[in-house]
Amino acid sequence: MAKDPKLGKLTVYLYIPNIIGYIRVLMNVVAFALCFSNKKLFSVLYFLSFVCDGIDGWCARKFNQVSTFGAVLDMVTDRISTACLLVILSQQYRPGLVFLSLLALDIASHWLQMYSTFLLGKASHKDVKDSSSWLFKLYYGNRMFMAFCCVACEVLYIILFLIAEPHSESVIDVLLHAAKQSFLLSALVLSVLFGWAIKQAVNVIQDHNLDKALSLSPFMILDCWVRCLFSLRQERLVDVKGGAIEKG
Amino acid sequence: MAKDPKLGKLTVYLYIPNIIGYIRVLMNVVAFALCFSNKKLFSVLYFLSFVCDGIDGWCARKFNQVSTFGAVLDMVTDRISTACLLVILSQQYRPGLVFLSLLALDIASHWLQMYSTFLLGKASHKDVKDSSSWLFKLYYGNRMFMAFCCVACEVLYIILFLIAEPHSESVIDVLLHAAKQSFLLSALVLSVLFGWAIKQAVNVIQMKTAADVCVLYDINKKQKP
Repeated sequence: MAKDPKLGKLTVYLYIPNIIGYIRVLMNVVAFALCFSNKKLFSVLYFLSFVCDGIDGWCARKFNQVSTFGAVLDMVTDRISTACLLVILSQQYRPGLVFLSLLALDIASHWLQMYSTFLLGKASHKDVKDSSSWLFKLYYGNRMFMAFCCVACEVLYIILFLIAEPHSESVIDVLLHAAKQSFLLSALVLSVLFGWAIKQAVNVIQDHNLDKALSLSPFMILDCWVRCLFSLRQERLVDVKGGAIEKG
Repeated sequence: MAKDPKLGKLTVYLYIPNIIGYIRVLMNVVAFALCFSNKKLFSVLYFLSFVCDGIDGWCARKFNQVSTFGAVLDMVTDRISTACLLVILSQQYRPGLVFLSLLALDIASHWLQMYSTFLLGKASHKDVKDSSSWLFKLYYGNRMFMAFCCVACEVLYIILFLIAEPHSESVIDVLLHAAKQSFLLSALVLSVLFGWAIKQAVNVIQMKTAADVCVLYDINKKQKP
């Protein structure tokens, strides 16, 4: 039974989790449009969008509406909202290079991880059972721990945004000052810092994960190439590599 | 003949185009470290890195050292350097939201396009023979035109960075002021704006096309017996 392709496409675009995805995008656009005039509303919207990130995953499984488009929409929304918040933090704090570096790390690690996921044919970048890193296994093996680190990361950035003064300040001074206010606040600051640190460490390790793809045998590299070529310069590679394999 | 995997890996990491890639990364790190203290040096390094982007592709073909790792290194370096420059521009100009949006568009369109390239098993996101958009065909069909648009985009950002005053200004005012200086300058501003606009339009179309690919991928999987 041939389905009208246009109808099929529209159906996926209107999946419940994907609609939640569009709402997330809208929330972020509104949040960043008013982030300087209404810090509290920004924080609420930003955090709500983050919460919806978990909700739409749950909805997708519950209503059997998992889609590649939905996963990509989620990932892109996450990357952009985190990037924009880091941009704003880099304006409010000195040294701004710290937040630029975090931005670079976030983009690089997720990009590389997605690449290696495709190259290795894995279901998700969260499936890393054959990784040798203990931190990796701990992070991805325990979903609650992973969720805590992700939430801590976002909460740290939101807190830094909320407590920023109009004039640029040193991040460390601001955090120390906040921690000294009360015991509860120090506990909060310490726990988000811990979760954030773990997440960044995992990001750094993921930068090296492409190693895994390259450590495969030459034949498997050729197979990966054939399956997912991604280079302007691939013109003669298949012929050349094919020839080399046969001769070797 | 079994090759020592470690030796094989090292060989790829030491390909000439990949070494150029590492130099690009270094150039960008140095450039952004001193971007506020030495604007001219920053612009030179940033532009040099952009030039090397083309050189390492040429080297890869010439020395037969094409690699997936090299392509990824290139893409990630491009994305991050453009992102960082847009971040700095968002600090120097009002409304900063314009540059945040350009950053969002850059990340989203490249991410989606790369994803859909993988799903389709295409050689490169620059191979879009089956696209229906005339702008797409024009852009990707003519490599010189595409190169012009990419260069124009980077040159526009570098120009905006160089002519920014210490206090935040409106982007439009600054560009108009620059254009009024001389005929040559207005021609330059107009041509980079044109190339930049084309590139952003293509980015938007790429997002829609790529999203469709993601959706069709699932549908095709379900329809297979």
